[in-house]
Amino acid sequence: MIEGYKRLMNLEEPPPAKKAKGFFTDTSLCIGCKACEVACKQWNQLPADGFAITGNSYDNTGHLGATTWRHVQFIEQAKANGSRQEQRWLMMSDVCKHCANAACLEACPTGALIRTEFDTVYVQQDICNGCGFCVPACPFGVIDRAPKHGQFEVATAHKCTLCYDRLKDDMTPACAKSCPTASIQFGDVEELQQRARRRLGELKARGETKAELYGMPEGKEATEVGPLHAFFLLLDRPQTYNLPEVPRLPRKTMAQRYGWSAAVGLGFALVGALVFGGRR
Amino acid sequence: MSGNFPPSSRNFPPPLAGEGEGGGEGYYDNPVVRRPVWTWEVPAYFWLGGMAAGAYVTASLAQNFGSADDRRIAAGGYYVAAAALAPCAPLLIADLGRPERFHHMLRIFKPLSPMNLGAWTLTGFTPIAVARAASHAASTGLIRGPLGALARLVPTRLAELAGCALGLTLAGYSGVLLGATNIPLWAKSKLLGGLFMASALASGSAAVTLQAARRGAPDATLHRLALVESAASVGEIAMLTGYLAQSGKTARPLTTGRFSAAFWLGAVGAGTLLPLLLHRLAGRRQGRALQSLSTVAAVCTIAGSLALRWSIFEAGKDSSEDQSASFELSRG
Repeated sequence: MIEGYKRLMNLEEPPPAKKAKGFFTDTSLCIGCKACEVACKQWNQLPADGFAITGNSYDNTGHLGATTWRHVQFIEQAKANGSRQEQRWLMMSDVCKHCANAACLEACPTGALIRTEFDTVYVQQDICNGCGFCVPACPFGVIDRAPKHGQFEVATAHKCTLCYDRLKDDMTPACAKSCPTASIQFGDVEELQQRARRRLGELKARGETKAELYGMPEGKEATEVGPLHAFFLLLDRPQTYNLPEVPRLPRKTMAQRYGWSAAVGLGFALVGALVFGGRR
Repeated sequence: MSGNFPPSSRNFPPPLAGEGEGGGEGYYDNPVVRRPVWTWEVPAYFWLGGMAAGAYVTASLAQNFGSADDRRIAAGGYYVAAAALAPCAPLLIADLGRPERFHHMLRIFKPLSPMNLGAWTLTGFTPIAVARAASHAASTGLIRGPLGALARLVPTRLAELAGCALGLTLAGYSGVLLGATNIPLWAKSKLLGGLFMASALASGSAAVTLQAARRGAPDATLHRLALVESAASVGEIAMLTGYLAQSGKTARPLTTGRFSAAFWLGAVGAGTLLPLLLHRLAGRRQGRALQSLSTVAAVCTIAGSLALRWSIFEAGKDSSEDQSASFELSRG
């Protein structure tokens, strides 16, 4: 009978689980060429965001969004009377973090957001009804809903797919493929994490004392959203790159919120019963 | 993405990022989280759904614990509930990016997602509230014939019990839904769910009072309804005080921003304080004076409930652009 139901509903068996895939973005190697942004736009056929000058260094992209899945940040750290060593120009290619406990996936009411066999987070475009709940749920401000009128798949949620279509064919995601300095590295998450630890050791030995990894299982940023499958080597505090210190997973406080709600509701019911029942 | 060419004077000379000077510790003044894409349909739905639930619960309490007069008068609350619920599903669907896919909400049952839980709750509560209203209409002779006979088959006690459970869920989940995000104004305090619940019960019982006063209800019933409504308002004030205290500086887009008038005058003043005062004034009065005061108080409560949802909803969008509040929210 279950078999019949599955045939009727056209339910397929999910593909067998593969090794978790992800990105290690080493910002110490980024030169701000934006090849990743362009490669992502081309492969995923994302429309241009329009011509706008932000005035913020070379960053005219602004932020990640429905049609921008890689975003290169430019951080000019120049002090008026600082020494040469204190002048820094940090660059970082931001992307969806493909969290182990993804807030967007948990928020999704339709099941459009799923975890793939590569342990990545993916939006099924034919399921999403554009309710928009994933947008404020994401602690990193990654996922967004496309406008109701536009050239792109309208009014559904979009974000980096980790090039799910390319992964299916054993290919490297477009951004990592195009990166000329290996700042964006793609591979098995476990192996990338080992590589990141080695790289951090090297940089520390060279005197990059402020360098840190962001999104590793042992990091405090993983306490709620879990390890990030797209993680980073940063040269300054996470906030410098607009990354939250401890990204929040809304589920963690939900029981408490429902608790207060229920307390008020039941309190009212009790008062109402006493008022109506206690008449003289 | 805000600027155009040539750069606006605000951005020129360009500020430096990551300097930790001028208060900003983040990447320029860029927001950390995305601005919610929802529009006016969402607070309107929260308001109507909450009022429907509050009216249903109030009517059921009177039905099961009240005097014969209470039962007769408060049963009008079932009409209020059914009428307020009617636009809820259309509003919820209109806010979707792809309204033609609204039924995808019901392709899975996932109570972990407040949005999914809300969709199921509305789906369950609406027919129950309509059935209970129809049953009352049949008992007063408003519906006759075969439809009336059908409506009389509705098990009223069961409908009241199930409707109250679903109604309280509907009234209670909306604030939790907003709280289950990373928007500082919505998420910082854990009391938004309780606040919206109290506001829903206040506006729902006020709606029952409104129709009771119009129908010339006996003084004793109006006094009891006023007491119930005031209890909800007191709960709302308590929740609101806790909410503002817990939110601290995060609440600035609400308390000092462009929605502060709607919040202080509408939600707090007209929505809670004024009705409490009016009900106190009405406490010793009888007849027409009591009915008039009850009516004004109820209208204020209902309008204040809308002002509360709307101001917190809209101020939340501004709060999403408050970079320092986002960092404050995610401080380890």
